[in-house]
Order: sequence, then structure tokens, then C-alpha cells
Amino acid sequence: MELSLLFQTLITGLAIGGIYSLMAVGYSLVFSILNFSNFAYGGVIMLASFAGYYAMTLLGANVFVALIISMAAMAVVSLATERVAYSPLRKRNAPPMFFMISAMGLSIFIENLVYATIGAHFYAYPIIFEETTINIFGAALGKMDLFAIVFSIIAIAIMNYFINKTRTGIAIRAASYDSTVATLNGVNLSVVIGLVFVIAGAFAGISGMFLGIKYMAYPNMGWITNKAYIAAVIGGLGSLPGAIYGGVILGIVEAFVSVYITSTYRDVFSFAILIIILLIRPAGLFGKYLEEKV
Amino acid sequence: MLKVNDINVFYGRIQALRDVSFEVPDNKTVSLVGANGAGKSTLMMTLAGVLKSKTGSIEINGEALAKDANHVLGQGMALVPERRRLYANLTVYENLLMGAHLRKDKDGIRSDIKKMEEMFPILGERKKQYAGTLSGGEQQMLAIARGLMGRPKILLMDEPSLGLAPIVIQQVFDIIGELKKQGMTILLAEQNAFKALEISDYAFVLETGKITLQGTGKELLQDERVQQAYLGVKAK
Ligand SMILES: Nc1ncnc2c1ncn2[C@@H]1O[C@H](COP(=O)(O)OP(=O)(O)OP(=O)(O)O)[C@@H](O)[C@H]1O
Ligand SMILES: [Mg+2]
Repeated sequence: MELSLLFQTLITGLAIGGIYSLMAVGYSLVFSILNFSNFAYGGVIMLASFAGYYAMTLLGANVFVALIISMAAMAVVSLATERVAYSPLRKRNAPPMFFMISAMGLSIFIENLVYATIGAHFYAYPIIFEETTINIFGAALGKMDLFAIVFSIIAIAIMNYFINKTRTGIAIRAASYDSTVATLNGVNLSVVIGLVFVIAGAFAGISGMFLGIKYMAYPNMGWITNKAYIAAVIGGLGSLPGAIYGGVILGIVEAFVSVYITSTYRDVFSFAILIIILLIRPAGLFGKYLEEKV
Repeated sequence: MLKVNDINVFYGRIQALRDVSFEVPDNKTVSLVGANGAGKSTLMMTLAGVLKSKTGSIEINGEALAKDANHVLGQGMALVPERRRLYANLTVYENLLMGAHLRKDKDGIRSDIKKMEEMFPILGERKKQYAGTLSGGEQQMLAIARGLMGRPKILLMDEPSLGLAPIVIQQVFDIIGELKKQGMTILLAEQNAFKALEISDYAFVLETGKITLQGTGKELLQDERVQQAYLGVKAK
């Protein structure tokens, strides 16, 4: 086994793992505050891949500016999905099943909206780095992968600080645990939930664009959120560190399976890890509060 | 001053409170005694703005109770909910901060947290510990402290002695006595009727959603019906 190949694979794995982490975080944040699986998140991620694509091609933005545009646009879209599809249910105290059905409907709507307007083609991003790789210790590392890793780490670090250290972040965690008591403490749930969707949207803006760069933009790319779901469950649904580490673990395992075994079996391994972890630790790696949340 | 006038609260078609009216004057401790299912928590949740009454009115210092539950604390009234309901996923310190969520005075919050640590020494030692890992008694202290962090003028407490050992129950009532001395207006729901009546200026007995008896704490302690139903005294 060559050390340079090992290093290369690790970087590829970290890059895709970072993207999975971002998706899993966005997905987990919504799950922990509203207690349902936001199936429409894949649609938002797909829209992000197009937002980034058009920002670069039509507006001529560079990759950095395009990321910011994609984040901002998806924050707005994500907030709009909450206000249109979920907030009316929330105000009527609907059970989680209703949210899930609403999310599925929304997901179908978003996907078909893109089919109807943009079409069913694959759109490749313009070239971002003339030279795609950079040599470090004899390993050819993808520049885009390195960029994705750095950007993901920064985004996650900022989110982590916000959620753990600021009073608004503490209020988000409190409301996730017991929204009624948070209300008694003066928390405006509508604002807090809106904020969660804004963060999830911004994260979709990043992950969707990186996915578009890696695999092209196309209308049904939302399936990839299955990976976010696996990552979130591996880490422990609703746990943020769980979502982050779950994503990284999944990305690295997939990269190694693709390189050292065969990429055909990549998804088999992803689901195998999921099942093994669920058997050993049903609450996931970091799901320690799950039992306490009666 | 808390004024409750003729409220009727329903869960679907089940009526949980019937024509309930009472007052809690400033700086007084009023208790609400009743068996399981009498409607104490329903009343507390209605006062906190979470449940709505079909009729009547609730006033805090002459002002109508806010429509949205998140505005009630701003009107000067805080609830320490039944079974404490701490944020198990937050630390002791973060739970206290949540109690002060509406406040912007950073220095005031800091000094109030110090105060809480003096009042409840156990909390100071466990600031960084997750609330879910505290013992039942410690959790109750934290729940009260979290309620106080909002600097309420009126404190509602729903069965603060629930599930605690006798020695801890005594500590809880000592705290209530201390708050009373400091001039806090308190409405206390309790099944532990003896201790509640002893500490109260005035009290009500709630039975299946209706107020059936009322009087000063002393009067109710001596009332035969109360003694039989809530104090475990056998009929002569
Ligand atoms: N969510 C609910 N849905 C339907 N009925 C309810 C609900 N919550 C309470 N009730 C009913 O309302 C009545 C009053 O309940 P409540 O919890 O207010 O009593 P309580 O006096 O607080 O009792 P405890 O001492 O056991 O806490 C009971 O008959 C109860 O079954
Ligand atoms: Mg009760």
C-alpha cells in the first residue's frame, strides 16, 4: 500500500465527508427542533447546485462569491419552505407525520419545478482551478477537495460557536429539547425555528454547490441527502457533533472503499456501517440525550 | 397582584377547570391544594399562557395576560413547571441563562447567577454539569433558580416537592419561606397539603376543576374536610 495513495484517499474522503457533515448538520438541526425528517432538504441542496452554477456562469462570479450567493439564496429558500410548508402545521399542532408528508410534497414540487423550467440535463461547472491538483509529499491532492475541506471546517466551526456559545444558540438547543418550556422562558419559537431553517439553508448552499462542482448540477441530485441521513443516524439523530463526525466517518469510509475495494460497493458499505452502528449503539455514536428526551 | 376571574379550560371536550376565580395579592403566598387530576397543572399552564381559557379573564397587575406564552415572563410572572422540566441537554449554567433569556443586562445576569449560587450552593459546584445528570433534589433547586433568573414579581410553582425525599422537601419549603420573606408573590400548587398550608397566607382547595374550599392556611389546616382528604387524619 502506497503512502501517497493513502494520503490522497484520505483527503478525498475528508472533502466528501465535510460535505456530508454540512448536509447532516442542516438535516439534524431541523430534526431536533421539529422532530421530523425534512425530506425537502434534498431539493434545497439541488437548488443550491444550480444557484452556484448560474452565479458562476451567468453572473461570472468566482467560486468564493458564488458560494456566498448560493448560501444567501438557499437561506431565503429554506426559510420560505418553513413558512409555507411547515409553519401552518406547527400552528395547528399537527403530528410529525403531517410534516413529513408536507415535506415530501414540497420535495416533489421543487424537483419538478426544476425539470419544468431548467430541464433534465446535467450542468457542469466552469473550470475553477486551471491546475486541478497540487503535489504534497508525492501525493496529488485535488485543489477543489482541499478548498472544500477548508470551507466546510470554517462553516462548521462558526456554526458550532454560534450554537454552543451564544445566547441565541443556547435558546435553539433549549427549544429543541423542550419547546414549551423555552416559550415560558420568553423564547419566540417562530423566530428560533426560522433561524434554524436559515442556518440549514446556508449549509445546503455550501454542500449543494460543492456537490454540483464534484458531480455536476442536475434536478434529481437530492437523492444524495440519503447520505446525510445515514451520517446523522450514525452520529445520533439530533446530535450536532454526531452529525459532524458521522459525515466525516461516512465520507472517509466511502473514499477508502472506492479506492481499495471498488466504487460499486461504496453504498453497500455505507448502509452496512449504518446497520452495524444501529445494532451496537441504537442511539448512534453521540446520541446520549435520546433516552432522556421522554 | 394576580387576578383570575371565572376561567373555564377544556382539553377537547373534557373540562378541566370550572368557573375558577381567585386572587393572589402582592407579597403573599397562596397555595392551591388538590389531589391527582384536580386541575392544578392545568391552572398553572393556563396562567403561563400555554393553555387558553374559554371564558373570563386573567390579569397581572391590572394588565390582561399576554396572548402568547413567550410574553408572560415579560409581564413579571414565571412558572416553575411540574416535574421541573429542565433542559437536560444544557449545563446548569446554560439552564440559568435560559431563565434570563429576555434580559439584556449582562452584569445583572452575572450577579444574579452569583446570587443563585449562594442560595443554592450545590449549583455553583456543578455549573458545567449537564442538568440531566443532577439528582432530583438538585434539579428542583435548579428549576426554581431558573425561574428566579427572569426576575419575576410573581412566581408560580407546580408541585415543587414532587418525588423528593423528606429532607429535600424541607429544603424546598425553606427556600419558599425565604422567597416569601424577600417579598415574592407566590402561587404554589401542592399535594403536600400540610407543608403548603403551613407556609401560606391563603389557600384554595381544587376538586375536579372546581374550587370547593378556601380560607387562610391556618383555617384550612383545621378544617375537618381538609384534614380527612389531604392531611391523612382519620374521621372521628
Ligand atoms: N393533555 C391533556 N389532554 C386531555 N386531558 C388532560 C390533559 N392534561 C390533563 N388532562 C386532564 O385534566 C385533568 C386535570 O389534570 P391536571 O394535570 O391539571 O391535574 P393536577 O391537579 O395537576 O394533577 P397532578 O397532581 O397529578 O399533577 C385530569 O383529569 C387530566 O386527565
Ligand atoms: Mg399537576
